Amino acid sequence: MASVIANFDRRWIFLAVGLLVVSLYAAGISSELPESEYVRDFHATLEALPPGAIVLLSADFDPASAAELLPMYQGVIHHLFARDLRIVNVATWPAAPPFTQKEFARIAPLYGKTYGVDWVELGFLPGDDVAMGSIGQSLRSAYPRDDRRTSWADLPLLADVGDNMRGISLLITASAGYPGILEWIAQVGGRYDVTLLAGTTAVQTPDLFAFYPLQLKGFLGAATGATQYLQLAAPLAARLPTGEGALDEVRDENQRRMLVQSWAHILILALIVVGNVIYFRTRVPTGAARR
Amino acid sequence: MKREIPILLTVLCGLAVTWSFFSPVGVSSAMNAELLDWAQVFFSVAFLLGIANLVRISLKQVTAGHADSPYKLVMLAVLFGYLLAGLAEIHGWLPAAFTEEHGNKALRNWGHAKIFVPLQATMFSLLAFYIASAAFRAFRARSLEATLLLTAGAVVMLGQVPIGDELTGGWASRALAFLMVHVNGAGQKAIIMGATLGVLATGLRIVLGIERSYLSE
Repeated sequence: MASVIANFDRRWIFLAVGLLVVSLYAAGISSELPESEYVRDFHATLEALPPGAIVLLSADFDPASAAELLPMYQGVIHHLFARDLRIVNVATWPAAPPFTQKEFARIAPLYGKTYGVDWVELGFLPGDDVAMGSIGQSLRSAYPRDDRRTSWADLPLLADVGDNMRGISLLITASAGYPGILEWIAQVGGRYDVTLLAGTTAVQTPDLFAFYPLQLKGFLGAATGATQYLQLAAPLAARLPTGEGALDEVRDENQRRMLVQSWAHILILALIVVGNVIYFRTRVPTGAARR
Repeated sequence: MKREIPILLTVLCGLAVTWSFFSPVGVSSAMNAELLDWAQVFFSVAFLLGIANLVRISLKQVTAGHADSPYKLVMLAVLFGYLLAGLAEIHGWLPAAFTEEHGNKALRNWGHAKIFVPLQATMFSLLAFYIASAAFRAFRARSLEATLLLTAGAVVMLGQVPIGDELTGGWASRALAFLMVHVNGAGQKAIIMGATLGVLATGLRIVLGIERSYLSE
C-alpha cells in the first residue's frame, strides 16, 4: 500500500485540480445558496441601524485572503452607503488600505457620498491588539490625521465620534487572522459594549461559533458566507447607467466561484475515499505482520 | 537594580492597565491612553529593528557568497525601493506632474496591485493543490479518533458548498450546522475559557513579579 500511494506522481492530482477549477470557472455556471442564520443576522443588524449612524469598518486582511474577504467588504460598503450610514474606515493589517482606498473611490460616487462627511479613511495603525485598544480608548489620539493627512478638525464626520467608542453604533471587521475579530471582541466589543459583526476566512470561521450570537451578532464565513450576504445585499445597491445593480457582478462572480468550490470539495472527498480504499485493501494486518 | 526596575515597571504598567479596564474614566483612562501610545511607539521601533537585523543578516550572506545571494539582493532592493517610494510620496519629493497625473500614492499602489497582490494570491492558491494531494496521501482512518475527524471534515466540506445539499437532500447543511454550533461551539468555548484562565494566571504572576522569564531568568 505504502508503495502504491508513495509512488503515485502527485502531479496528476495537481493536474486534475487545475483542470477542474479552470474548466468550471470558464463554463461560467453559477450556483445560488440558501442564506444561513448567521448571515441573515449580519444583514438584519445592518438593516436595523438608523440612517446617519456611524459604523467603524476595519480591514484586517491582505492579498492572500482577498478572494474571500474583498467581495464581502465591497458588499458592506454598498450596503452602508445605500442605507445612508456613515463609515469610519481603519486597518490593522498594512496591506489592506490599498484595497479599501480603491473600493471607496469606486463605490462612493455611485451614492453621491462626500469624503469627510459620509466616510473617512484613517488608514493602517501598527500595534495589532494594542492598536485596537487605542482605537477603542480614543480614536482621535490613535489617528490625529486621516490617511490623506487631513487633520481631525477638517473632517466633519469625526466631530460625532468621541472617546470610548462614543458615537460608533457598530463595528464590522473583515478579518483574516491575527489581529482580527477575536482581538476586536477582547479589546473593544466587550469593553465598550459595541455591537460587532465580522466577515472571516474559512480557517477562522469555526472560532466564531463560540461568540455567536452574544458577543458577535452575525458573521459571514468565508466565500460561502460572502455569497449568501451578497445575494441579500445586491438588490439594495445602486443602479449603474446600464440598469444593472452595482453589486450584481460581484454577486454573480461569487456564485460562479461557489460552483467551482463545490466540485473541488467533491474531488478532495473522492481522493480521501480512494486513498483510504487503497490503504485498507493493501494494509498488512497487525497479527500477520507479527507472524 | 538591573532586575528590580524592570519588574517594578512591569508591575506598575500591569496594574494601571487592569485598573483602567474596570474604571475607564479620568486618570486611569488618561494613563491607559499614554501606555497604549508607548506600546505603539515600541511596536513601530520593532519594525526598524527588524529591518536592521534583516539587512545585517542578508548582507552577511551576500558577502559570504551564499547560494541564496541573488534572492537576498532582490529582497533588499524591493525593501529599500518600496521604502523610498513611500518616503517620496509622503514628503512630496515626486514631481508635481507625476502626482497630478497618477495620484499621490501611485507608486506604492502600483507595487501593491502589480507585484504584492499577484504574488501573495498565487502562493495562497497553491494550497488547493497541496490539500488535494494531502487528501490522497495522508488522510487515513487509522484509528477511531482519525475516523471521527475525517467524517466531521467530510460533513463540513459537503455542507459548506451548494452541491452538498443537492447530493444529500439538504442533510449536509443541517449536519454542518449541528457540528458547528453544538460540537465545535461547545468545544471552542471550553478551550477559550481554559486558555483565558491560563492567560489570567500568567498575567497575575507577571504583575505580582513571580513570573520573570521575560527577564531571561
